[in-house]
Amino acid sequence: MGREVAESCVDSVVIEMVSAYCSRLYSTHPEIAARRIEAIGFQVGHQLSERYTMERPRFSDHLEAIKFICKDFWSELFKKQVDNLKTNHRGTFVLQDNRFRWLTRVSYDPTPANSDVSPASDPSQVVDKAAQATSMHLYFPCGIIRGALTNLGIPCAVSADISNLPACSFVVRIKV
Amino acid sequence: MIVCVAVVGHQNNPLYLQSFTEADDALKLHHIVHCSLDVIDERVNNPKKTGPTLNETFLGLLYPTENYKVYGYLTNTKVKFIMVTTDLDVRDVDVRNFFRRFHSAYVDAVSNPFHVPGKKITSNTFAQSVRAIVKSFGSSTAV
Amino acid sequence: MAPVAPRTGDAVFANVERVNAELFTLTYGAIVRQLLTDLEEVEEVNKQLDQMGYNIGIRLIDEFLAKSNVTRCVDFKETAEVIAKVGFKMFLGVTASVTNWDADGTSCSLVLEDNPLVDFVELPDTCQGLYYCNILSGVIRGALEMVSMKTEVTWIRDMLRGDDAYELRVKLLKQVPEEYPYKDDE
Repeated sequence: MGREVAESCVDSVVIEMVSAYCSRLYSTHPEIAARRIEAIGFQVGHQLSERYTMERPRFSDHLEAIKFICKDFWSELFKKQVDNLKTNHRGTFVLQDNRFRWLTRVSYDPTPANSDVSPASDPSQVVDKAAQATSMHLYFPCGIIRGALTNLGIPCAVSADISNLPACSFVVRIKV
Repeated sequence: MIVCVAVVGHQNNPLYLQSFTEADDALKLHHIVHCSLDVIDERVNNPKKTGPTLNETFLGLLYPTENYKVYGYLTNTKVKFIMVTTDLDVRDVDVRNFFRRFHSAYVDAVSNPFHVPGKKITSNTFAQSVRAIVKSFGSSTAV
Repeated sequence: MAPVAPRTGDAVFANVERVNAELFTLTYGAIVRQLLTDLEEVEEVNKQLDQMGYNIGIRLIDEFLAKSNVTRCVDFKETAEVIAKVGFKMFLGVTASVTNWDADGTSCSLVLEDNPLVDFVELPDTCQGLYYCNILSGVIRGALEMVSMKTEVTWIRDMLRGDDAYELRVKLLKQVPEEYPYKDDE
């Protein structure tokens, strides 16, 4: 118990996984790449929720489970809690992290090994590429949240909203 | 002595079942495990108790039969653990301790990246840990 | 000003940002499993993991040099020791031992008894031929290349395949002389 690794291990592996799926394996099919990245997150979330809910009473409703994701689960992963939780009371929850760790620590410099982007592309395309890379990256935490909630008996869809960087909102829509 | 342990998924699909008895009563034990699932559902859907014990993972004694006592446990992920023992004088703390260790072994088994959720647990490591946990059941009493 | 002494693996590890190993272990496991599903061929998965490791290695070397205060290693022998005692410790929290040097000091083994990548892992029979930890060999190859050492890194022993330890063979192919860094767009 209590084993630790450098945080850069997690960052590196995640960045490289996203880049492998987007630039090498499915470079012409971003939607497939996205699904695979999400699936990897799903498995991780599924397993983590099993681990992190050991020795705690069962949740009595959806809200309790979501609160667990916002507090304990988030703290284990990101060393802080979600900053703001909103709900429309009809099965949609918005989890806002004002400084989402995986966005603040991740920068997408094209590395020599996968810089297949032409250097002469115009600036708007560069911005597009960066935004696309960021959104690809977010399929992983979206998958983690969906995996965790699914394993807790809450089937849902999860998407991310980054219109307010470095804040990031995860929108959870519970399936009824 | 623990004669049988079982892990049952949230759709009552069997994930692991192991008996620890020489006697040829496997069928009987399966039946007991099967019946206990209904008791768990009943208990979880109609909780009688209130206060701190509400929603506790440890469900306590599910039902006594002539020769056995059957205990249950329900994780947050709706997975059921069932334990059948021939001991008639069982301490609550021993059963809780058993389930705590069993749960931990289960969590490690499903953390194997090649384990498919909802499929039977085939891990040798898990089988070994379970054997060790079963063997040491109640031994804390002596200390 | 006197050069800053290189720090021990323990000291560096104590000072880096650390996380729960479970997140790392499970993430890596999920990636390997997904790659097996998508690529089907075990050999292709080995290659992809190695490539991922290589890309990580060429980036991690900077963080490693900056945080460990390691400046220049005198030779390949010292380099191997630094990888084993500081590199592994700083990132994975475990140390390796360096053994089995060949006569001319150009190849050696890094031996790990324990490794957070494999916690909880049991390989199914369908994964014969998979080098589950292949990302590690790529990381070492990539990192060394950035300090001008071309190497070949191969697995000799693997506990997931029933061996008693993890053993990586690191062979120095050639040492490229330092070049002045220049920018090719100027």
